[in-house]
Amino acid sequence: MRLNRKLSAVGMAALTLGAIAVGCGQGATSPASSSGHQGTVQITYWYPWGGDSEKWDKWRIAKFQKENKNIKINAVYVPPDGGISNGKLLAAIAGHNPPDLVITNDPQAGYALAAKGALEPLDSYLKQLHFNEADLIPSFQSLMKYDGQTYLFPEDTNVEMLYYNVDLFKQAGLDPNKPPRTIAELDADAEKLTKISSSGTIQRMGFIPWIDDGDNPFVWSWTFGANLYNPKTNRMDLDSTQMVDMMNWMGSYAKKYNPEKLKSFTSGFGGAFTPDHPFFTGKVAMTVSGNWFSNALRIYAPNVHYKVAPLPAPPGGRADSTIFGTNVFMIPKGAKHPLEALKFAIWGSQGNILASDINTWRSVAVNQSSTKGIKFYNSNGQITDPIYKTVMKLAESPKSGTPALTSVASEMSNGLTSIRDKVIYNHADPGPLLKALQDKLQSEVGPPKS
Amino acid sequence: MKAMQVDTVVPVPRANRSQPAWQRFSQRVPLVLTYLVLVLIALAYVIPFLWLLSGALKSNHELFASPVVWIPKHWMFSNFVEAFRQFPFLLYLRNTLIIVGCNLVGVVLSNTLIAYGFARVNWPFRNAVFILVLATMMLPFQVTMIPLFVLFTNLGWIGTFLPLIVPSFFGNAFYIFLLRQFFIGIPKDLSDSAKVDGASEFRIYWQIILPLAKPVVTTVAIFSFIHDWGDFIGPLVFLSNNKLYTLSLGIQQIMSANDPRWTLLLAVGVSMTVPVLLLFFFMQRQFIQGISFTGIKD
Amino acid sequence: MNKRSLRTGLLFISPWIVGFVVFTAYPVFASLYYSLTDYSMIGTPRFVGLQNYVNLFSDKVFLTSLANTLYMVVIGLSFITVSTVTIAILLNNRRIKGLSFFRVVFFLPTLVPTVVLSVLWIWILEPDTGLINSILHLFGIPGPGWLASPAWAKPSFILMALWGAGNMIIIYLAGLQDISPALYEAASLDGANAWQKAVHITVPMLRPVIVFNVITGLIGTFQSFAEAFIMTNGGPNNATLFYSLYLYENAFQYFKIGYASAMAWILLIIVLGCTVLLLKFSHQLRPE
Repeated sequence: MRLNRKLSAVGMAALTLGAIAVGCGQGATSPASSSGHQGTVQITYWYPWGGDSEKWDKWRIAKFQKENKNIKINAVYVPPDGGISNGKLLAAIAGHNPPDLVITNDPQAGYALAAKGALEPLDSYLKQLHFNEADLIPSFQSLMKYDGQTYLFPEDTNVEMLYYNVDLFKQAGLDPNKPPRTIAELDADAEKLTKISSSGTIQRMGFIPWIDDGDNPFVWSWTFGANLYNPKTNRMDLDSTQMVDMMNWMGSYAKKYNPEKLKSFTSGFGGAFTPDHPFFTGKVAMTVSGNWFSNALRIYAPNVHYKVAPLPAPPGGRADSTIFGTNVFMIPKGAKHPLEALKFAIWGSQGNILASDINTWRSVAVNQSSTKGIKFYNSNGQITDPIYKTVMKLAESPKSGTPALTSVASEMSNGLTSIRDKVIYNHADPGPLLKALQDKLQSEVGPPKS
Repeated sequence: MKAMQVDTVVPVPRANRSQPAWQRFSQRVPLVLTYLVLVLIALAYVIPFLWLLSGALKSNHELFASPVVWIPKHWMFSNFVEAFRQFPFLLYLRNTLIIVGCNLVGVVLSNTLIAYGFARVNWPFRNAVFILVLATMMLPFQVTMIPLFVLFTNLGWIGTFLPLIVPSFFGNAFYIFLLRQFFIGIPKDLSDSAKVDGASEFRIYWQIILPLAKPVVTTVAIFSFIHDWGDFIGPLVFLSNNKLYTLSLGIQQIMSANDPRWTLLLAVGVSMTVPVLLLFFFMQRQFIQGISFTGIKD
Repeated sequence: MNKRSLRTGLLFISPWIVGFVVFTAYPVFASLYYSLTDYSMIGTPRFVGLQNYVNLFSDKVFLTSLANTLYMVVIGLSFITVSTVTIAILLNNRRIKGLSFFRVVFFLPTLVPTVVLSVLWIWILEPDTGLINSILHLFGIPGPGWLASPAWAKPSFILMALWGAGNMIIIYLAGLQDISPALYEAASLDGANAWQKAVHITVPMLRPVIVFNVITGLIGTFQSFAEAFIMTNGGPNNATLFYSLYLYENAFQYFKIGYASAMAWILLIIVLGCTVLLLKFSHQLRPE
């Protein structure tokens, strides 16, 4: 009898614990995507951006909801890239509770998800929504497809350019209307622009290949002409002569100037969106960055007089081209309302909807059916803004594209960065290192098809 | 026994009492040196705090100035106001407090029960099981992290607070250890006489032991608070959208975004550190006792 | 009686039993199972035997991460142990006034949340405008690049860890205060100097506490993740790619669940092995 009481008391305590545990959790559970009231469909939409882009996206959502009363959009901010690089999206898909729509700035990662079978094919929905593929800039069509099916829907894209400081060009006796076109010219101009004091401290660097977007290993390998991965044949080609040349070229800058000194010289805080970026302060005279950098310049360095040009390329490389930094929509496998989600994606990537975002960042609408509202065009549809001219020229170049559409893209990117660091810090020979990475990644994706 | 004071400035231990004057002098040199070294080290420990504070009060321009600005010209308290406006501080604070609060309840309830079972109930295999409890302290989180992630994924818990809360209701080896040591020290007579009066074990736990154990329970609660307040890897792995972010994760996400405002970030950092420091100053004794206690047992 | 007490005891510890089974035992064995498979969270795990382990030991990045972490254990932890024991010995002087003040000062940094610690130290170590190099500059010394330099990045982390090692000082101090003053008095009578006392009395008597702190520090070092993740993300030149960071990358950035699980098991074996070795070794050093 006593024992029973004792036991039940302890049992009660255990039950209470359980109840509290569940209670605590319940209060915290976030609402999942679900159908709302009669006739309205609620879609959950994950987006990766804050700041101005977030404001614009909220505006876009409100406008869409006004025009489509039966669709409610539950927008969720999921940094850094729509929950892809930290596994959150995959977890949601594996947990059978995915969002209906995700937009990400990392199409390679989206492609990797498609290869895993984690995304919904879009073809039948695109047909239902009467989508016309001809509206898109042609160089994006390969990006959309994996194994013959469409998985990614491009919204807008960024391009990579060479930014150069006009005043510093003049000071160094260079013609600011003649930016470097080849790697040899780039190196020569960089040397003229570099200023080192008699005591050996660096005062200004003409150019450093691996800062800003030059840090992205895909940028220069594209310009040098490498074909890192061919999705049709499943063949990696990381140790080509182009790649070795590119690495050695970066190494030549490290040999000329101490790379540690360079790093402490350029490491201001945070980078592009601080007043202390080395390009803003005149510490570097040329740098590689995306079209969006022009907005950073507008905000943080309105007095810097600059111009843009396509990235210089070596002979045999891809001159006048860029890799694309494309924002793509995708629909995870198991999404409850794929059709409504895609409807929003297509509607939301029209030029006139994107206009205010494009006016801020100078990005390119992949869907060119309308340029209304984009301030860089005049009423005849001609581009008047000199920077945007370069941007569009690069976007429409048939030599531009998206490299490394493979499931191991992020590992490849880390691997190439690490090899580059070995080359610049340890003067390592890139050939064998590239070969080792090539072998490792090729074995991960399986043997190439003949 | 108190040492006799030969010198009014420096109390000298008894053994030195009969030493000649020059020896006493030579013993004071190391003392001065010791002070010097300790003060220098203490300075090195304090200055980073001042650096954090001065950074949070600088203008953006001063923060990046070279040569360095040691003390901001105008104290920008507006950084804090700005930070609260731009950074969803209150949302992240609320999330952090939900997690911290639920875990406090879970940690205190579950671990006192468990520790009572190990300290005050005499059952077979008790010590063997307790060694198993201690052994789990050595298990790196990385070993369980992935299967737990898969498990919580399948339960649909990723993107909720549940993975960060539920485990705390099921005991933690370190807290069990601390509480058990304290419970063992409570005289056995207290529970024996209660038993004679017909009290159940649970009543003894609830009415006698728990009230007596307030100091150590406070220590455990403090540790739990500090841990969850600053936890980073848990929220990083288990939370998905920013509506659920904790302060730690929120700060890191802002840093990795391409638009970090460093002065604001430092202001948020100060705001996140101050509550812990205040807690410490009010509860210093429990802190130091708890920490010191950790190392005593082999 | 025995049976009844067994039942009562088990009831009291039942939350732990449930927790142990669900949150410890199951994950440990699940992790062993995953380590033998190829698994990306979507689909089902595919059994591949020991392939992940074989691949790991030919993965140069893995070996780098292991070497980096061993550096932090061997050099970093030794440095921190010697420093904290020394500070504790300096503090454990009955003639030093303001003991509680010093204790508070050394303890405060341990209270700073990891993320804030990382933000703060990025800024302390900043080569151009950071605290340390600015102070060095006052003395005319050109400071190194710290986190920007492959050679100095790990020492930067050691320095940061020392700043946050106040709890070790407190624990050592408590251990020192437990040593009977009679031992020192006897040694003084025998004419022992301060150094001899430290070597022959303090360190041997402190042995259990040192072993405790070293084991805790070792486990902590192998688990250390947040600082490197936030501050350097493994760079420059993989100099701060620590074990747990590479494990996290494999699990949550490359979705190689099997590969990462194999890393987790190797980690477990290393930690267990080191602990057993340390305990054995310290027993041999036990004073007579």
